[in-house]
Amino acid sequence: MIDFLITVSIISSIGAVLALILVLCERYVVNYGPCRVTINDDRELDIQGGSPLLTVLRDEKIFIPSACGGRGTCGVCKCTVKTGGGAVLPTETPFLTKEEIADSVRLSCQVKVRNDIDIQIPEELFNIQEFKSTCTEIEELTYDMRRFRFELVDPPAIQFVAGQFMQLLCPKYKGSGEEVYRAYSIASDPTQRNLIDLIIRLVPNGICTTWCFDILKEGDPVMLNGPYGDFRMSETDAPMVFVAGGSGMAPFVSILSEMRNTASKRSVKYFFGGNTLKDLCMANEMKAFEEQLENFEFIPVVASPEEGSEWVGQVGLVTEAVQQTYSDLSKHEGYLCGSPGMIDAAAAVFIGLGMPEDKIYYDKFS
Amino acid sequence: MKQSPRDKKLEEVLRSTQLVAGGFMGSDPRHPIEVIEQDIIALEEAGMTTTRLSQRMKELTEIATPRLGNWIEGALGKLRVKSEDFKGALVCPWPHPGTFDKRITTVEHLETGQQVTWTDLNIHMIAEHGFFEGKGAFFRIEPAEIVSILFEDEAGI
Repeated sequence: MIDFLITVSIISSIGAVLALILVLCERYVVNYGPCRVTINDDRELDIQGGSPLLTVLRDEKIFIPSACGGRGTCGVCKCTVKTGGGAVLPTETPFLTKEEIADSVRLSCQVKVRNDIDIQIPEELFNIQEFKSTCTEIEELTYDMRRFRFELVDPPAIQFVAGQFMQLLCPKYKGSGEEVYRAYSIASDPTQRNLIDLIIRLVPNGICTTWCFDILKEGDPVMLNGPYGDFRMSETDAPMVFVAGGSGMAPFVSILSEMRNTASKRSVKYFFGGNTLKDLCMANEMKAFEEQLENFEFIPVVASPEEGSEWVGQVGLVTEAVQQTYSDLSKHEGYLCGSPGMIDAAAAVFIGLGMPEDKIYYDKFS
Repeated sequence: MKQSPRDKKLEEVLRSTQLVAGGFMGSDPRHPIEVIEQDIIALEEAGMTTTRLSQRMKELTEIATPRLGNWIEGALGKLRVKSEDFKGALVCPWPHPGTFDKRITTVEHLETGQQVTWTDLNIHMIAEHGFFEGKGAFFRIEPAEIVSILFEDEAGI
């Protein structure tokens, strides 16, 4: 029996030592040498091999959106790796569809650059920058929603299109031992180039929103990167229907600011849904937009107004309010921002009222 | 308790704060396998199985989802339920594909005022892994308590 235990111990120890040697070699000895990353058949980066593609690109100031900071848990940092990426890893498959795997889509945080590699990323990512900023104002909009203002320090200005979003770096804190990035739509006027407003709703047990609500204070430094996304107002004259709930308000504040700046005469009806009166916000700002824009109407909708309240606005689901307002949306464009459930329900209503699917634009919380 | 390398890795992931704030184990000092074993015993003592419980949770979430965060009551006997979507996604900590919308369902017993809250990930973890989270975790579910709320008035569901 003792001989058996000794043998098992020896074999286990040898295995452990070999594993340790492999880890140390991977970290300190293995030299993948110089590697070339070719981006979009055009731009070439000569780098030292051995790091994840996401990190290599970030070091070169090319930011691929990633919500988990490169730990393979969010599935956001997808890009096409045409050659040199090796086999798809088990850590990637949960986040990739069969079609994406067939199209060589990979998670850039999981692909280690060990040799020359040829990738394809959206051109717009070249315009993304990292910003040092200072949180200068925190405003309570509702019981669970706040507007955070960040003044940009370095670089001191940003150019974005109304409707786009930024990523905010949430640092380590008690309760979260990892840095994470989270995406939030920009809620500021695109002409105010030295600042970024974000409207953030507290997510129960959410890593980043808990930090924003409980720890972040006015005067604190915050890292942002962006702008990202292609949610924006089209360049047509078609009348528009906006539908949002909660922090889905953010991109529409930015879009309405842009419309005001350009004296737009486009027709807009904006349906904003809340479960109770406590969920409504920014009434004064919306009223100001109604005065500044010729053809803008803000329609707050409350599903269950508190008993005894003097609410005289629309009652019901925001989707029901749209149905009651329109009989034909075939010439309209629809813009949606909010939860997947709300977007799916509103899109179904739009389509039911004749709106072509390709005229429905949305920014889904996912 | 002797742990296999796989169990050790699982404990690390469940205790880490990488996927959810505070981790899945809360302040529970027990090994996740112990937590699972003891919760399954508590569930069995309440006359329930993980399959039946997770089916009921899923059913209630599906009933509530179309109301976009508003309470549904009246047709649910002594219960009312709401389900609300939040920004983000939840990833199953077990080593297999599994990403879930951050949807939070709350059920309230109208007579007792007892409430129980879960995410779509809770439903999956109970159904597939028998895991109710560690004590002190934000979305910890007490097996006996949820059974007493959801099944007290089965005919009404």
